Amino acid sequence: MYDSIKERVKELLSTGEINGFLALKNENGHIKPHLYVSPDEIDQLSIGDGEIAGDTRYPLAKILTVLLQNHSGERFGILVRGCDQRALKALTAWNQIDSERVVSIGVACSEERAQACACALPYPDEWLEGEQVEPKDPRPVEWEEKSPQQRLQFWRAEFEKCIKCYGCRNICPMCFCKECSLESEDVVTKGEIPPDLPMFHLVRALHMIGRCVDCGLCEEACPASIPLRALYKKVNNIVETRFQFRSGIDQTEQSPLHKIVEPPAAI
Amino acid sequence: MAVLKDLLEFIGIEGERLNLVWVSSAEGPRFAKEITAFTEKIRALGPLNWNYQWAVPNSELRAAAK
Repeated sequence: MYDSIKERVKELLSTGEINGFLALKNENGHIKPHLYVSPDEIDQLSIGDGEIAGDTRYPLAKILTVLLQNHSGERFGILVRGCDQRALKALTAWNQIDSERVVSIGVACSEERAQACACALPYPDEWLEGEQVEPKDPRPVEWEEKSPQQRLQFWRAEFEKCIKCYGCRNICPMCFCKECSLESEDVVTKGEIPPDLPMFHLVRALHMIGRCVDCGLCEEACPASIPLRALYKKVNNIVETRFQFRSGIDQTEQSPLHKIVEPPAAI
Repeated sequence: MAVLKDLLEFIGIEGERLNLVWVSSAEGPRFAKEITAFTEKIRALGPLNWNYQWAVPNSELRAAAK
């Protein structure tokens, strides 16, 4: 399986073009991230086609960010799905990754996978395995029809389930800040569960402006099943409508927060 | 500001509850005017009822979030 990927990685590793290849490995029936450094190991490579998303994806872009920081001068390869590549592009736009030091090898997601993730872009720019499937992107349009009272009631009840595990932030490929506002005592009171409502969730939502690539890992990770993705999708929609910007599409385009733009009409 | 207003609307909080005005320290009367106007606006909107004990999550809305 995935022979074309394995061949390519072997070639890259043996010619020394990359120092390591970051991908997934199947061990004891579970996948885990693994840095392949020798061409001999590559046979263990897995692209993680599990039934559930947690057995398919990993925030590889986040791990790559740390690898690049800690091993200056070295180059790395990485296995990318559509979401991983969007994360890489967004991280490049935010100056967290030097794209010259990264070689991406793409996988297009299967139709089942793309549907399970409700993915808007289930393939990277180029891929060696898989086929392009038509994206499905159910944006939260039905929300507009609900009354503010209903929406308030809904989100209040959802936010209240939060156990403040920080899982959403920890898994997020775009959460690269060294100091996090969610750990600041000015914003979030220590030792209280649920965290300050709705500050905790709104702070995170606002910090997703120009960052969120809609990979959905946060919602997968959330032990309280808060529909975080619907919230961040809304943020993305607002940013797209007001500033015509979508994160993770063009790695040379900076987020609207970094540009002096005309103020949108009617603030 | 623009994004936060839209986001507040999305979770069901009136955007008018948020206001940003730049007032110089030399503009005392204007400051008083702005604050009075905003206070009146909030008073007209009434309490937010954020801490009201809500019923169980609305399953229909939950399905829409998927």
